Amino acid sequence: MAKKKYLCIQRSQQANESGNPSPAQMEQMFAKFNAWKEKFAANIVDMGGKLGSGQVVTPEGATDGPFVEAKEIVGGFMIVEAESIEEAVEVARESPGVAMPGSSVEVREITTP
Amino acid sequence: MTAPSLVDHFFRHEYGRLVAMLACRIGVEHTEDVEDAVQSAMMSALEHWTISGLPDNPSAWLFRAAQNNLMGELRQRTRRRRILQEQAADDVGTGDGPDVFLAGELQDELLRMLFVCCDDAIPPESQLVFALKTLCGFDVREIAIRLFASEANVYKRLGRARSRLRELRPKMDGLSQEQLSLRLPAVHKVLYLLFTEGYLSSSAEMALRRELCDEAIRLTNLLAEHPAGQSPETCALLSLMHLHVARMSARQDGTGGLLLLEEQDRDLWNQNGIQEGLKWLAKSAEGDSFSRYHAEAGIAAEHCLAPCFAETRWDKVAECYELLEQRVTSPIHRLNRAVAVAEWKGATEGLAILDGFEPPTWLAGSYLWSAVLADLHRRCGNSTEAERCREVALDSAPTPQVKELLQRRLET
Repeated sequence: MAKKKYLCIQRSQQANESGNPSPAQMEQMFAKFNAWKEKFAANIVDMGGKLGSGQVVTPEGATDGPFVEAKEIVGGFMIVEAESIEEAVEVARESPGVAMPGSSVEVREITTP
Repeated sequence: MTAPSLVDHFFRHEYGRLVAMLACRIGVEHTEDVEDAVQSAMMSALEHWTISGLPDNPSAWLFRAAQNNLMGELRQRTRRRRILQEQAADDVGTGDGPDVFLAGELQDELLRMLFVCCDDAIPPESQLVFALKTLCGFDVREIAIRLFASEANVYKRLGRARSRLRELRPKMDGLSQEQLSLRLPAVHKVLYLLFTEGYLSSSAEMALRRELCDEAIRLTNLLAEHPAGQSPETCALLSLMHLHVARMSARQDGTGGLLLLEEQDRDLWNQNGIQEGLKWLAKSAEGDSFSRYHAEAGIAAEHCLAPCFAETRWDKVAECYELLEQRVTSPIHRLNRAVAVAEWKGATEGLAILDGFEPPTWLAGSYLWSAVLADLHRRCGNSTEAERCREVALDSAPTPQVKELLQRRLET
């Protein structure tokens, strides 16, 4: 049974209410992130990255985007490999992408013919 | 592939080094801009490094990012054009960071910043907060928790330091050797304050307090290793810090209750720390000066070297307290001397030290004063007076742990 690939879409609130993390908190975040990366090394196909600003292309042409809806913004993506959606969700659930209040990770199976 | 690990407190300590370095370059009155630039450099580091791994030289990476942020910010401000013209000579390269990127150089700047913020014009409690924020990388909330103060109060203290520095616009490289040595006592004071905040506060978590002590030791170490800071006082200060921290974890039992010196398990004392402290104590005696730090380190050393409580050389302890009193008149030192004399010559002699001594209101109302009196009177057989003092002491205990300790100590 081949493993399936999943696209993880990371969203966060536009502005962080609580201000910036302090250096001490960053230390913890960094350590946590690396621990997570090691734990799920086998699942992570592509660490993806942060998404910058861009344009939205529609039949009418291109406009500056991304469009911010419901105060959420897609901030990054990542591709993981797993046996099932449950396993992929497990990887996402422990990821730093959901560490901050108001942030979320959407996990979608990538179906290829 | 495992992620390469960073040294402990990399972000916090790097923050202090970068802020000091950049503030030295563009002027300490711009510290706030510098801090913002360093903060956002660290945020981008967090994003980049977690995804693509650590760069070869994380420090240089951060420096470049912070410097670019800062220069970008300053370029956008026309009223800062003058600084830019002065800075124009400094090419913001994209190489591996500037040539001055040597650990020694960085530490010079950290120390320079410390000397600059220890200006007489800034109240000591503001100096302390400023140092914690800019040199140790704690944010306001973290400082408030550690100093047991409100965030508003920390902001106020920080603001005072910043506005004074803006007015003073100290020349970062303008401190001559002579000025440095004149300012050394103020630097000692702020480091001592930082240490005692960690060591004596009974209000914060042990781990948090320990952090303050570690920071104080780290900065004092830098000072002791540097020509501008090498003095007998610096060595004595570092010695007393080591001798206290070595015994810190033995001061509490498993449940966080406080333990008396005589109850402490001396096997828990960190012998390496004690050796380190004694090493610095020996070094502090190489000059011809004797400071309060020498006296305090001497007292701590006596306790560290005693095989058990009963074998403490109380005569030496009492003598050190007397020397300490001559240097810094504080009723607390007198009280401590009375305790040492009581152990050495008996409770009656101890009480005699306090005879006719009017404690200031803050001390008279503190549990410490009443507890010592209760103990000494009890040992002299003055049971009525002992009982009265015991009541007062128990009533004025600041925390349940202290109260519990007093009940144990002052059993009738």
